[in-house]
Amino acid sequence: MALASLTGLSFSYPDGGLALDDVTLEVEPGEVLLLLGPSGSGKSTVLRALAGLVPWFHGGRFVGRVEVAGRDTRRTRPAELAGTVATVFQDPEDQVVLGRVEAEVAFGLENVGTPPREIASRVADALEAVGASHLAGRRVTELSGGELQRVCLASALALAPQLLLLDEPTSQLDPEGAEAFFAHALDAGVAVVLSEQHPALALPHADRVAFLERGRVLLDAPREEALAWLEEHRPAWACEPRTGPFHGRRGTGEVVCRVDRATYAYGDGPPALDGVSIELRRGEIVALTGPNGSGKSTLAKLAAGLLEAQGGSATREGRATFLLQDPGRYLVRERVDEEVELGSDSARARRALADVGLAGYEGRHPRDLSSGERERLALATVLVTEPDLLVLDEPTRGIDPERRAQLAELLREQAHARATLVVTHDPSFARLVADREVSLAPEREPVHA
Amino acid sequence: MRPTATAVLLAGVCVGALLAHRLPALGALVVLLLAVCLRAGRRAKPYLWGTLYSAGFLFLLSPFLQSTGYHELWTGPHVPVLGTLDVTSEELRLAGLNGLRLAAVGLAFAVYALLLDHDRLIAAATARRSVLAAALATRLVPTLERDARGLVEALRGRGLAPQGLHGHAALLSPLLAGSLERGLNLAEAMEARGFGRPGRTRLPAPPWRALDALGVVGAVVAVVVGALWL
Repeated sequence: MALASLTGLSFSYPDGGLALDDVTLEVEPGEVLLLLGPSGSGKSTVLRALAGLVPWFHGGRFVGRVEVAGRDTRRTRPAELAGTVATVFQDPEDQVVLGRVEAEVAFGLENVGTPPREIASRVADALEAVGASHLAGRRVTELSGGELQRVCLASALALAPQLLLLDEPTSQLDPEGAEAFFAHALDAGVAVVLSEQHPALALPHADRVAFLERGRVLLDAPREEALAWLEEHRPAWACEPRTGPFHGRRGTGEVVCRVDRATYAYGDGPPALDGVSIELRRGEIVALTGPNGSGKSTLAKLAAGLLEAQGGSATREGRATFLLQDPGRYLVRERVDEEVELGSDSARARRALADVGLAGYEGRHPRDLSSGERERLALATVLVTEPDLLVLDEPTRGIDPERRAQLAELLREQAHARATLVVTHDPSFARLVADREVSLAPEREPVHA
Repeated sequence: MRPTATAVLLAGVCVGALLAHRLPALGALVVLLLAVCLRAGRRAKPYLWGTLYSAGFLFLLSPFLQSTGYHELWTGPHVPVLGTLDVTSEELRLAGLNGLRLAAVGLAFAVYALLLDHDRLIAAATARRSVLAAALATRLVPTLERDARGLVEALRGRGLAPQGLHGHAALLSPLLAGSLERGLNLAEAMEARGFGRPGRTRLPAPPWRALDALGVVGAVVAVVVGALWL
């Protein structure tokens, strides 16, 4: 008997169109179900429905039936499902309630009425299960994104749920961090429903794959069968080259940006960069890679002029623009077209929106867009300025493989007009877009490829 | 001292400061709270600026909004509704008292926000929902500060660095929208984690010690001394 099932589920958010259209899915005990699909295809809504958050928290029009562990979610509040179901959301910062790691992991246990004498040991066990015992006692504000996501996973696993829901949980992690996360989350023996934009990382762990598009299930099949279907119908989702050559075209134009033996430290902390050099020429795209904490974003900000080098130098020619991580949070206008026009004019704004696949979204409020759509909108806001140096910090976060390929194509089409530096954790995107790679090792010695 | 006792002591100090009416005593209390606050290092900056601006503004404005005292120090023009503007030494003293009272309350809040372990405060609270809401609201200040920095950085990255008061004031609306969005996301996560479900339990708290009892006694003493002698 299925642990969880959605039967003929159609759902519309109060202020939107149809998010799910006649969706039927089942999850068996201990099974890992991978949800794939473009941004806005309804993956997150499926997860919310399984957690009972749709319709209880969001409201909206709900037709069909969702059952979890024999309980109808329309008769059971999400808080009552907690413990049976546990959810890890996309952004760890938006789900952390308390200030210290142990208290945070204990929060859910206290809510579901765990006997007090068991709480401390279950917190310790959960932290150990995700390899985060060393974080016990730390303040959550001191943790990196990867550490925080592990704490969120520990909070979910501590509940010993029958069903674990993961909504793009690795979007802020480097590939090693993401692998470690999946190893902890998917090998815990509980049923998992996972939504992911990087199928290459998640597919090896999946028992079954469902592909959603415009709220409908196009595919629901075991992994091998799903792989064949993806290769035939959605090749961008089936094959992400994580190794292989870069485009290899050396920039022949003038030097647009030169960072020479730059050093930088935040406050009294250790140096984030120590004697790093990089040169960017018009016409080339450079991928800046390296693990979390290696100083990629700091180097990118120095290159774009958002930070001043404390030692060495950073010089630029012409106009530089920088798209920072998680740019969807930092949109300032109330209409999509006004947001893009802010740095330019309406004709260029329309063109930039079309370039990123947001034509027709002009009148929408930026905060009503999905996270992937917001990322693309933010990209349009920098492309519209037609800069000489374009610096993008993790531009593919929350963006599906087909959009990533389109973004790479767009950047390559426009590459001749500028020097482009792309900070990325995504090895397949780096290979799709870049002419060469500059890799920052943890000890911050740049290695050129 | 456990956070509950410290919170009670700080509340007592606030009430004592509001009841006190001697400038030197209030000044000493503000200096003491400032010294405690500075233990938080850089994190104290937004709280200190907020407190200093508010207290300074109150000190500067209140003499013009009162008509008290006979020892005129300055007489200004006649302003409709407000009447003749003047400043007396009594008004200055009252302005100083009010400014210092506000500074003391602001600094006591800063100590609460920066140096207390809110998790233990929530764990020990009887009215857990209210204390949790207060703790989350306390976290709003550093979150807003970080979001504001991100917003300015994002605009600078687009070549649109906000200029002047008007430019920065325009950031208030997106900041508010961002914090509302964060609040909704957090509420959703809390619901999914069983918050509000009946029958909740809590981690066993350590027993009260003599120092904790001393904190509560200190709060009562602060109120009484503030009312009667300061």
